[in-house]
Amino acid sequence: MTYILDVTRFILKGAITTFNLYIITAIFCVPLGILLAVFKMSKYSILSKIIGIYTWIFRGTPLLLQLFFVYYALPVIGVSLMPFTAAALTFVLNYSAYLTEIFRAGIESIDRGQFEAAKSLGMNYRQTMTRIIIPQAVRRVIPPTCNEAINLVKDTALVAAIGMGDLLRAAKEVLTRDFSITPFIIAALLYLGISSIIVAIFRRIESRYSIFD
Amino acid sequence: MIKVVNVNKSFKGLKVLKNISFNVNKGEVISIIGPSGSGKSTLLRCISQLEEIDSGYIEVDNIPITKKGYKKIGIVFQNFNLFPHKTALENIIEAPIVVNKINKNKAVELGKELLSKVGLLDKQDYYPYQLSGGQKQRVAIARALAMEPEIMLFDEPTSALDPELVGEVLNVIKELAKQHMTMLIVTHEMKFAREVSDRVIFMDNGEIIEKGDSNKIFESPKHIRVKAFLSKMV
Repeated sequence: MTYILDVTRFILKGAITTFNLYIITAIFCVPLGILLAVFKMSKYSILSKIIGIYTWIFRGTPLLLQLFFVYYALPVIGVSLMPFTAAALTFVLNYSAYLTEIFRAGIESIDRGQFEAAKSLGMNYRQTMTRIIIPQAVRRVIPPTCNEAINLVKDTALVAAIGMGDLLRAAKEVLTRDFSITPFIIAALLYLGISSIIVAIFRRIESRYSIFD
Repeated sequence: MIKVVNVNKSFKGLKVLKNISFNVNKGEVISIIGPSGSGKSTLLRCISQLEEIDSGYIEVDNIPITKKGYKKIGIVFQNFNLFPHKTALENIIEAPIVVNKINKNKAVELGKELLSKVGLLDKQDYYPYQLSGGQKQRVAIARALAMEPEIMLFDEPTSALDPELVGEVLNVIKELAKQHMTMLIVTHEMKFAREVSDRVIFMDNGEIIEKGDSNKIFESPKHIRVKAFLSKMV
């Protein structure tokens, strides 16, 4: 029993990196995703094309490759980043690309009549978006965003590939030291625990936004 | 008050409005009638700037609609288009607060006044999904009125309603007519059109083929297509 507690404590120490990376990605990619989604649908076609290329690249290549690129390839052109910074940057860019597309689809799913009603009442584009369209779109993008939030928990394990210590890597260290699979079971339970908390949080948000339909 | 001059509009090569011209005077109620697909709704949508016209000219109070003239216009849609995430009262006070920047207490006062005008004061905290179609449309009328438009456009306001709910909406519009609101109404309710409007415009195939005094058109239409249409509808 004390062995399990010791191992858990050790793995949790590794989980601090996972946790920090998670929070930073979550904080940056939601507003960035909304902003890019709105720009992507705007009438500035050059801007919308650039954003299109961005989401095409980041959704179309493996996250692990992007991580390698930022950490190992950028130094070639003179940009050397600390592992954590490289990981955070990659994750923010990657997840923002997914969220951009999710939010865009959410906004486009709102009935045209809503835009027309807002326009006929004299609202401009910004007022229409912030007061009428986005509040309705939020409700529709909650389920896919929840999926991304859970994926992110598991994707953080990829940072071990650039030499960072995270939850999974800590578990693996114990495993090689003790020849026991217990640390993997503990790691699995920790991931499950975190995911469950996230699902619970999203369920809360969803029920708060579902009052009107 | 509204001047429509030689308006043309096509969608992907299909001409939906052909050389439309007419005037609406202050305080006048005009019904636009005619078969489905004749361009009636498109005409209203052009006047309210929801569609751009290809050629021609539309002005409200001597201001072209392209230059803010459309701000004097209120429109009521067939499908209500209420904001589903806002209560009846919030639907009404949204634009006065956000666009006209009037203070919230004043807006609430105005909103309640309008709700009682359409007979729905007791429903002020209901969300659209909790209201019947007729109630939704009455809230939508109140919402448009809250911006104090000089002209109200109605785009088939009762077409999406169950028959027993049509009357309550038409009564609100009749009430507005009594108060000399300038109105342009696209409708399939012939009895109502005859009763409420001063003049009638008959459209078919993107053209105005007859217009004039409401009673005259309903009693003795000149054009053969108008005769055929009215005999089917009444």
